[in-house]
Amino acid sequence: MTTSVLICDDSSLARKQMARSLPSDWDVDVSFAENGLLGLKALKEGKGEILFLDLNMPEMDGYEVLNAIRENELSTLVVVVSGDIQPEAYQRVISMGALDFVKKPVDARQIQDIFHKYGIYAKPTIDNPVKSREADFEVKYEDGYQEIANVAMGRAADLLARLLNVFVILPIPNVNMFENSELRMALRDIADNDSVSGVCQGFIGSGIAGEALLIFNDSSFEDIAELIKYDGKIDDSVQLELLMDISSILIGACLKGIADQLDVNFSQGHPVVIDRHVKVNDLLNQNVSQWKQTLAIEIAYKIENKRINCELLLLFTEDSIPSLNQRISYIVD
Amino acid sequence: MIQHLDVGLIVLDKEYKVNVWNSFMENHSGYTPNDVIGKNLFEVFKNIPESWFKRKSESVFLLNNRAFTTWEQRPYLFKFKNYRPITGSAAFMYQDITLIPLTSVDGTVNHIGVIIYDVTDIAVNKLGLKVANEELGILSRTDMLTKLYNRGYWEERLLHEFSLHKRNKQAVSLVMFDIDHFKKVNDTYGHQAGDEVIRVTSKLLIDCKRETDIAGRYGGEEFAVILLDSTAQNALLFTERLRKRIEESRVSVGSDSIKFTVSLGISDLTEKTQDYEEWLKQSDMALYRAKESGRNQSVIYDVNLNGAIK
Repeated sequence: MTTSVLICDDSSLARKQMARSLPSDWDVDVSFAENGLLGLKALKEGKGEILFLDLNMPEMDGYEVLNAIRENELSTLVVVVSGDIQPEAYQRVISMGALDFVKKPVDARQIQDIFHKYGIYAKPTIDNPVKSREADFEVKYEDGYQEIANVAMGRAADLLARLLNVFVILPIPNVNMFENSELRMALRDIADNDSVSGVCQGFIGSGIAGEALLIFNDSSFEDIAELIKYDGKIDDSVQLELLMDISSILIGACLKGIADQLDVNFSQGHPVVIDRHVKVNDLLNQNVSQWKQTLAIEIAYKIENKRINCELLLLFTEDSIPSLNQRISYIVD
Repeated sequence: MIQHLDVGLIVLDKEYKVNVWNSFMENHSGYTPNDVIGKNLFEVFKNIPESWFKRKSESVFLLNNRAFTTWEQRPYLFKFKNYRPITGSAAFMYQDITLIPLTSVDGTVNHIGVIIYDVTDIAVNKLGLKVANEELGILSRTDMLTKLYNRGYWEERLLHEFSLHKRNKQAVSLVMFDIDHFKKVNDTYGHQAGDEVIRVTSKLLIDCKRETDIAGRYGGEEFAVILLDSTAQNALLFTERLRKRIEESRVSVGSDSIKFTVSLGISDLTEKTQDYEEWLKQSDMALYRAKESGRNQSVIYDVNLNGAIK
């Protein structure tokens, strides 16, 4: 009997990775949905006896889909596949009726384990692993970047969540090519604005180079100080301590997440604090002729019920793009 | 090779016992590996901020993630001499610190590496730049002849106080004044005498105003003062005091002793004032009336002045 499987994820790379992780000798009919809304529609059409569901999606996210499934009493087995690996995310989806939770990036072994655990599909012996199913659609590089950023930011958020004991609300990463002038404008905003602080840190390895830039809203400091149980006056030096602690975690974990997925190793430079005393434009001006464009991945973190906002910008140099694309194509194909 | 790297390298275990101590650490601290290996770091170096350093290290052990600290947070972890003890200007070595988790075979982190970079030159340059920028900031706000605020910065403050009043409704008054017959002083005694008259006027203005009042040189011989927490009547006490002090003062040029006076216009900020330009205009009108009525006097703006001046 053919089983209908629905893969609901906004990233084409993630959809492809998921489809390829399904056992190839399994009699299934696989459909795809690019966001929660389309996923729900497909479910209602009976296309998903089993649903592999991403959490961070535009239009309607995974949590909303889980809610809608309950409200509409749709019968489907839901396996959440997410880069958001905070313990709280796991508990939330299980309490909302998901069968299980798989960390991104998925591989065939994880999926087989789940199938075996719930008796969905008999697991072949280890000596005779099944061949992965081919999903033949194109994955755009931007989608590849986005999905890699998605997994990496999930790991960083997990560390932050564990350190501060909070739930971090994860956004959908934005991938863009920035013109030199656009970046300059964005940086000038930070430098001119007294109410934000920033840290930038360079990284390099395997033909890939860039800088991570963490931009922090100063109003966040009070809430962070409260979370780490720092009592005392929050002056400039305390802000700097907090800024360095948070940036070590977010930048470090995110870069490590990216490096692991691309199978490279990055050296990290020492972080530099951007404040009113550092003229960001001067830093950039000296670099004018060297590059025109930069690949930017923007991740805006928020913490639930707190006024904590910070934005992580990962900027890759133009000449890193061929290496990046090559590494991504290894993952895709 | 690693021994001769010119950065400090230390390996610590979870009890903060020293496992590795390279020659940079040995030479700068004076402690040999024999002195420190196997000992608790905080027992050997009593001046290390223990709780601070532990907090940073524990997140590295727990999260298996690097941590960085800069000299801006703490100038140094170990108090070492400046590497250039003779020609360098800093008394000690500024340090950036990186803490890296060292993963064991089973994937757990039982040791951390501490890397100490000498960043004295960078720190000294940046601190110097900061001082220079602060001085530049003061220079860009100051009128060189009088040391009062210059017009540009004073107008910024005026706009600021205007906006503040919209929120807090505190009384605030604006005084504009200028030196009577200033052109004649210049023509008779020369520009240097004119400059001296302006300088003396500014000095008396600074003497008469309160610390919080905001005084600027508005134009050649024109001055402006924002009086915080002052009604027009309060402002009148101030302007009369200033006017009399100026009237009594003398500026000596050679054998001549110059006598001079000022005319002053006052307006307090009310609900009806639309914008700060209007506020300025009202003080100006009052000043104009003071001139018309014979100079060497203070006039408070009222709406009837609007009709009087075209």
